[in-house]
Amino acid sequence: MTDEELLDAFPGVRIDADNAAWHRGLLDHRLLVNRCDDCGRWHQPPRPLCPACWSRSITPTEVAGDGFVALVTALRQGAPQPGVDYADGGHALVAVELDEQPGLRLAGTVVGTPTAGIRVGDRVRALWRDIPGRLPRADFEIVAGADTAAGEGAGR
Amino acid sequence: MSARRNPARDQVAIVGLGRSPYARDRQGCTPGSLVSEACVNALRDAGLGAADIDGICGSMVSAQWVQAALGIPGVAWFANPQAVIGNQITAAVAAVSSGMADTVLVYHHAYRLPWASRSAAKDPMRKRATLGVADARSWWGTGHNDTGPNSLYGAPAYAAWAGRYLHDYGYTRETLGLVAINSRTNAARNPNAVYTEPLTMEAYLAGRMVRDPLSVYDMDIPIDGADAFVITTTERARDLPRPSVLIHAATLGHTDYGSEEQLRDLDHAGQMVVVDRLWAKSELTLADVDVLYPYEGFSNIALSWIENVGYCGRGEGGAFVADHWVEAEQRIMIHGRIPVNTHGGSLSEGGTQGAGHLYEACLQLRGDAGPRQVDGAAVALVTPGGYYFNSQGILLRSDT
Repeated sequence: MTDEELLDAFPGVRIDADNAAWHRGLLDHRLLVNRCDDCGRWHQPPRPLCPACWSRSITPTEVAGDGFVALVTALRQGAPQPGVDYADGGHALVAVELDEQPGLRLAGTVVGTPTAGIRVGDRVRALWRDIPGRLPRADFEIVAGADTAAGEGAGR
Repeated sequence: MSARRNPARDQVAIVGLGRSPYARDRQGCTPGSLVSEACVNALRDAGLGAADIDGICGSMVSAQWVQAALGIPGVAWFANPQAVIGNQITAAVAAVSSGMADTVLVYHHAYRLPWASRSAAKDPMRKRATLGVADARSWWGTGHNDTGPNSLYGAPAYAAWAGRYLHDYGYTRETLGLVAINSRTNAARNPNAVYTEPLTMEAYLAGRMVRDPLSVYDMDIPIDGADAFVITTTERARDLPRPSVLIHAATLGHTDYGSEEQLRDLDHAGQMVVVDRLWAKSELTLADVDVLYPYEGFSNIALSWIENVGYCGRGEGGAFVADHWVEAEQRIMIHGRIPVNTHGGSLSEGGTQGAGHLYEACLQLRGDAGPRQVDGAAVALVTPGGYYFNSQGILLRSDT
């Protein structure tokens, strides 16, 4: 895919050399998060250097998309968007803390669970849905509740 | 905590206050009309003319625009930092104390925008308007290239962190409600406030939910309006007609978490940087504070500020507010003495990103707060901003 085609796939998004790999990954249903070749730290959103050690040797590296819900809110109103329903308890908006590194988080929505049932500590995994008119992105689904043995629990 | 040098301590003063009154829907206004009205009023309040100003510092409306609009003949220093108001104040203090300028005109406005105001979204003159500050996807922004209903950029993250706060410390929405009710109660005695009718807890809990757990009562009120401040040396201030409000210490505070959802936790927010630095630069302590202005553009932010400035420990803000709640007055009175957001704050006076809080603090220290004047108010602590990119602290004292 050419750069021009990448830009066309994300209308209105500032695509540049620093974040192109992340967006190419989304088109391939892969989560390519910047990882430092020298110290191993991950960071998000993409930067041109490692914030921990200043190395400029960075490799966009696939993460599994597994983690837990660190933050959750429900949007009860907003601009109309494909795949977004603000009714029935609101559109779920979460920050998922990835298993790869404490504090490394991705924003997204949770599907398959009523919004009111989403809890901090719920175990989730990424899933991919192609929704016409929506920019490519990962969504999440709950695989174990916060209050179960597999969940992270309320104290996390 | 070791002391930090603060050569500007009490050497710079606020000598003029001006405002373009807050309104829920002012037809025919522009950011420039609001700012220019506030600036002219501030200069008149200070007893100064255009030729007395040699520095300009404001948000969004450019310094050059203001200079030309007010016919200010010569400006030797200007800056247009991003909102919120502490950015302008710290820049102006630096300019005056260093000699870059002697007398600086500072301003900030609020202009209802389509994303925050449904009436603005329907107004053809506003629906294309955007913040004059950095676009979310620009190089001036936070690194986000992602907005919309699946992004935590901006306001939604405050709701998410509010939910995390309630979750981690076992609070309910009633805790946030006390912040909202406190603001509404105090607004009743402020003629500049846009919402003054009493708010009950029952009505608060029935409020329309916007982003869980925050309802319309937990979010600042979009308004049209502006505030302006004239800042000069304390030495010069003493020759001017109004009582001087001395800037004892002022600071910003950011951490390196580059976007809202990456903030490690509420123990690693910009507020910690602010508080450490502010008290290290100050000769005053929390016990000296007479009036408190914790920003509450989202209600949960005020609880964090009350904790972080030192009244109580992390997670104890909700319990502290409940303990210091005066039921008969329907407002917070810390230790029975210190009122909080005496003007009604962003939740009831109107949302101006902390400028209204600063304005009110100055009125109180000048003794100009009318029916809501706090007797003997001599020290005010103003903490604008939230958690990530705009945490700020300003400690003011009267010149007595």
